[in-house]
Amino acid sequence: MSDSRVERMADVIVGYCAGVRAGDLVTLESSTLAAPILRELYRKVLEAGGHPLPRIALEGLSENLLEHGSDEQLDWVNPAREDDIETVDVRIAIEAPGNTKRLSNIDPTRQARHDRSAERLRNRYLERAAAGELRWVLTAYPTEAAAQDASMSLAEYEDFLYGAAFLDDPDPVARWREFGVRLAGVAEFLASKRELRVVADGTDLRLVTEGRTWIPSNGQENFPDGEVFTGPVETSVEGEIRFTYPAVFNSREVEDVRLRFEAGEVVEATATRGQEFLREMIAMDEGARRVGEFAFGLNEAVPFFTQNTLFDEKIGGTIHLALGTAYPETGGLNRSALHWDLICDLRSSSEVYADGELVYRDGQFLNDFS
Amino acid sequence: MRDLRYDGLAKLVLEHSVALEPGQVLRIEADAVAAPLVVPLHREAIKRGAHAYAALGLSGLNELLVAHGSEEQLSFVSPIALREVGSIDAAITIWSETNTRSFSRADTDRRQRQLASLRQAAIRRRDRIVRGELRWCGTLCPTNAHAQDADMSLEDYEDFVFRACHVLDDDPVGHWRRIGEQLQARAAELGGVRELRIVGEDTDLTVGVEGRTWRPAYGRQNVPDGEVYTSPVESAVNGTIRFGFPAVFMGREIDDVRLRFEDGRVVEAEATDGEAYLQSLLQLDEGASGVGELAFGLNYEIDRFTRNILFDEKIGGTMHLALGMGFEDLGGQNRSALHLDLICDLRREGEVSADGELIWRDGRFLQEQQPARPVEHVR
Repeated sequence: MSDSRVERMADVIVGYCAGVRAGDLVTLESSTLAAPILRELYRKVLEAGGHPLPRIALEGLSENLLEHGSDEQLDWVNPAREDDIETVDVRIAIEAPGNTKRLSNIDPTRQARHDRSAERLRNRYLERAAAGELRWVLTAYPTEAAAQDASMSLAEYEDFLYGAAFLDDPDPVARWREFGVRLAGVAEFLASKRELRVVADGTDLRLVTEGRTWIPSNGQENFPDGEVFTGPVETSVEGEIRFTYPAVFNSREVEDVRLRFEAGEVVEATATRGQEFLREMIAMDEGARRVGEFAFGLNEAVPFFTQNTLFDEKIGGTIHLALGTAYPETGGLNRSALHWDLICDLRSSSEVYADGELVYRDGQFLNDFS
Repeated sequence: MRDLRYDGLAKLVLEHSVALEPGQVLRIEADAVAAPLVVPLHREAIKRGAHAYAALGLSGLNELLVAHGSEEQLSFVSPIALREVGSIDAAITIWSETNTRSFSRADTDRRQRQLASLRQAAIRRRDRIVRGELRWCGTLCPTNAHAQDADMSLEDYEDFVFRACHVLDDDPVGHWRRIGEQLQARAAELGGVRELRIVGEDTDLTVGVEGRTWRPAYGRQNVPDGEVYTSPVESAVNGTIRFGFPAVFMGREIDDVRLRFEDGRVVEAEATDGEAYLQSLLQLDEGASGVGELAFGLNYEIDRFTRNILFDEKIGGTMHLALGMGFEDLGGQNRSALHLDLICDLRREGEVSADGELIWRDGRFLQEQQPARPVEHVR
């Protein structure tokens, strides 16, 4: 049976999120498991007058390369995909994993080397996006693997995913616009502040965001969405933070991450599990030990952890901080092959101060913003 | 469970067909349904030190384009796809479908325009292949759709495909090299022939081949392979021929085709089923009623018709003749948008003579061919 929410999701993505127009070159990037939504997206892009360009990945190929490739092969950047990044008007990427742990046994240094090869491409696409030349949407299609990571049945996970994207609503776009107004209010408020201090269990962190842009993320680049983010002043991060949720990167989980910052750099990193991997990632390059992003998760329809950053970083009542590359449009200057989001639940015994004033307690801003 | 026959096919294609070298860029083109072959091809290519990637299609997408695309969308040529042709050293096309009839009800004209949009990239690619800048091979990954067309279970069809490719041999590459030596010698011998006469059931056809080049096909551009072919002299085809196997073109079948030629042109064409379609194809353009190819099918592991030209034209003991486009590099001068392969079963009651001398009877050349000289294996 076909799920009408798939068609509705494709409609919202092509229209509201990506704003596909006549003549646009649109890459549709996903795995073979996303076939049902790829077909709907393809149809909607045609309807909008665009040119859909499917870029379909097959799980197993990255394993081949990471397992058997030489350094030269790991470093190789496909000129055809580079051409995509230079040429297309819209990228729609859909997560649809068949096995989220498939890279677990790959040597992390080889993985990191391969990630570095993709850095130039990513920076170039972020640059074109920041310049308004390229629109992109990252979204997800429900699969058994993703459901398993979330400890749910596929049917439950589908309800969760489509619910988080407001697709049960008769008018999802209206909901997203309304939510966008609230997010814009939060961004405007934060923009008037100079310094933030986060206090919670194991956490007392200060960072300066003055002069940086807070961006309300309202479903146009991530879908679902619901966060307000910036790139903090690179040298300003001081103190310690403990991340409540396991940090997931490249199929690997690192548990109970604690970081201590001095002058913006990680000077201590511990974890109860996966500590070595954590340290290898942080040592990937110069920028990997600095903060590229700081954000508030504000989507109340994402109430729990599912081991997928796309959702987890939007959990209503959390903050997250990313080690590594910054989004240029925030004014963040840090650059790295890494962008690792680490999430901290603030829904209990937590406070955030802005320029010394309490503005957020136990997962909620004191001001309503609606 | 991993089926090592797919690994074997992958190794054969990489070693023998495209001779992939370290540092080369390989593009693997397939529908996603070909995953069982794409993954080992990619793995073995990586192991050979190449930069390999897959460009995958998904069934249903082009169908949507043909059904719903605007004129501009139907004829759109991606600049990225055009540039990509120039950035690769080798390409492997895996013809694998989930449904071989998905365009049967599509508007023929719109489908033609969508296919025409791919021509620019195809020509650019062909030119690079001819200049020796790009190695290419086409093969197949068994699917239920192909098995269904062959009236077989998937398991039986896999057996059939891997047998035809000689993947189960101790030394598949060695097999295809030997075939290459034999066919090379056969091609050299046929190169000295002025006229062939084909006699079989309802068939008595003379075909002039003087001055034309015969090409041995031994697993370089197709796997499986096994044929020797040329483009005959355009004005020198006379007589009648009956094709024992249905002709399949763009997913449509024409049964029991009988043709009469005068001076190289079809002057009479009949079929028990699909005759109107046959007539429309013959009228496609000037060259469509002329002959572009004549060939001997010599892969005796392919012993039955499976509705797939990759296999059917190589059935051991058959000949095929194509109406339409000829091969310029073999001396062929016929030009057409059509290339319709028609297969004539000569395994019973079939005789072929060359300049009056009988050379083939009941599906076999009378003389087993010994290699005249070793074949050059390197590019």
